Amino acid sequence: MRPLRIGLTMRILAVLVVLGVAVFPLYWMIVTALSSNSDLFAEEARLVPDFAQFGVFIDALAEGKALGWLRNSLVIAVGTTALSIGLGIPLGYALSRFSFWGKAFVTVVLLFTQMLPEALMVVPLFSLFRRFDLLDSLTGLILVNSAFVLPIVALILKGAIDGIPRELEESARVDGARPLTVLTRINVPLIAPSIAATAVIAFFHAWNEYVFAVTFIFTPAIQPASVGIANFIGELGTPIQTVMAVAFMFTLPAVVFYLFAQRHVVAGMTAGAVKG
Amino acid sequence: MGLHRIRRSMAVATSVMCTSVALLSGCGSDSGSDGGSDGGVTTLTFAASTFGDPGRGPQLEKWLDEFNKSQSAVRVSAAAVPYPTFGQTVLTQMGSGQGPDLIRFDMPEFEAASDAGLIAPLDDLIDVSKYDLLKQPDQFMVHDGRRDGIIFEASNYAMFYNADLISKPPTTYEEFVETAKSLTKGDVYGLAFRQTEAEEAGVWQDIFNYVYGFGGKWSDGKNLTINSPENLKGLQAYKDLYDAKVIPRGADAATFRRMFAEGKVGMELNNGGYVTATRGQNPDLNFSVAPIPFPVRSQGAILAPIVINEASPAKEEAATFIRWALEPANQLKLQEILGASSVATVTQRSPEQLEETPFLKVFDDLTESSLPQIVLGFEAKTPDIRKIVVQNVIAALQGTVDLKTALDQAQEQATQLVG
Repeated sequence: MRPLRIGLTMRILAVLVVLGVAVFPLYWMIVTALSSNSDLFAEEARLVPDFAQFGVFIDALAEGKALGWLRNSLVIAVGTTALSIGLGIPLGYALSRFSFWGKAFVTVVLLFTQMLPEALMVVPLFSLFRRFDLLDSLTGLILVNSAFVLPIVALILKGAIDGIPRELEESARVDGARPLTVLTRINVPLIAPSIAATAVIAFFHAWNEYVFAVTFIFTPAIQPASVGIANFIGELGTPIQTVMAVAFMFTLPAVVFYLFAQRHVVAGMTAGAVKG
Repeated sequence: MGLHRIRRSMAVATSVMCTSVALLSGCGSDSGSDGGSDGGVTTLTFAASTFGDPGRGPQLEKWLDEFNKSQSAVRVSAAAVPYPTFGQTVLTQMGSGQGPDLIRFDMPEFEAASDAGLIAPLDDLIDVSKYDLLKQPDQFMVHDGRRDGIIFEASNYAMFYNADLISKPPTTYEEFVETAKSLTKGDVYGLAFRQTEAEEAGVWQDIFNYVYGFGGKWSDGKNLTINSPENLKGLQAYKDLYDAKVIPRGADAATFRRMFAEGKVGMELNNGGYVTATRGQNPDLNFSVAPIPFPVRSQGAILAPIVINEASPAKEEAATFIRWALEPANQLKLQEILGASSVATVTQRSPEQLEETPFLKVFDDLTESSLPQIVLGFEAKTPDIRKIVVQNVIAALQGTVDLKTALDQAQEQATQLVG
């Protein structure tokens, strides 16, 4: 009985430590945002927020710029997630189920695209986007982010589809299901946890992306939050509390999306686990 | 047949997905109004990292509004480009035939853009003979007889000090070191400067004062002199202060400048623009300014030209704005916004200004001994040389190599670069 209790205590402690490490940066952002100037550089760091400084959040939102940045980030992230998942499922399915000449080569090329740093692609993509009039538009950013995240989405989904027994598809075909029905009714529900996981990857990639956003967008009104926050960093000074307040607001939608997607990942993994 | 059907279905599904994404991004109000004319009004974008400065940024935007209200044909709006990636972002855009119409550059990027032909010559657009331009900084705006820019801001480097902590500013390097050491205790540091590779441009600005203040220089106009004995002496002084732990190590400029504004840093070498920025952060700070107390009276200057993008479809309209900016009344207003900096033309500081900021004269007196932070003779290569020098100096700061070896390596690498 006692070893069991010690084991449980240790596990709870371990969970609390991991939770603390994960949540601490968010907490520290709030503490910094809600600190007075004198507290910021005091010899002893302030460990709890000073809610009398809450006006910094109101000031950050007052001009409406921060809300606009967040809305733009949301459009880019949702668009990228939808496009990359929408294209990644058929691509992953094709790589998993069809045999065609050059299949191994295609897979390697997909992997190769993941080895190129974004900075290397900025200039050529800038010229390309200029030709197709995609600069200074959210559509352009959705496309470029999708292009970068699609290979990894497709490869993860290919691996998930590989794990589905072909017999299931054959049974469905025997019952008269068309190929698209097989994909959408048989495969997609079974790989739902993987889709949720890749959605998280795609969403976070687009949500955090900076290099393309800062270069391809000229109009302040359509800048995403990743660039908007950087605008606070001036040559001669930076309003640290404001930066932290906006940065905290910037993390919230991503955290909410992760929690939403995570439920589907866990639900998918445990679905049918207790059925005979 | 089945394969044909699945292809068609997938094409339909993909089209639906793409359409929904396009509609979604449409909700995000894509821009389609960059540059160009709209209802007879030509809209121009003006990119300047200064727009992000506390204190100066909002005032500069008001200054732009004054131009917009002064006429109805041209509208100039501030383009927000984050300072940390300003040069890289704007040069990439300009290199691909895009980017803001007007740009306020720092000198290294100005030289690189000029060399690459990305800047529109101003000779036919602006008749500079109409204006009383400051000769010393203005000479750097002309390349091979071609005028590429007009000074937007010229700002000499001096020593800022907290007058509550330091009653008498140091006048020699030895006093400077002693003051820094004696002030450093608890959460107060005697001095602050940039010392991380993440702030490459800032480190270059800071070490420039040490190199030139100890009699060194980056080149003799024809050959690089990065590892000269004078440069070694100046950079050794910089490293000694780092080793003495009189600076908040690891703190970036944003942090230690905030610390200075809060009375946690005693001294800082900075340019005249810092006056307004510091007051913007803490109007009650009791600070003053003195010449940098290094052996040789020679220091860096921020020269920030305003230029017209060669790719701009509205060069004449952009020139209209520059001509407005050069008018005496608008130059005076700009100078008041920029603090202790100078502007393109000779201006008189008002008695009110001098009463409010008595140390303005210190900056003005330094104009003759101040130099732009470029490598003379290798102007266009300055950003690349800067990278090499900063990387090697920081390696020496971190103790991975001794300073002399670091400078020898920098000399060798930079010489290979310039050929």
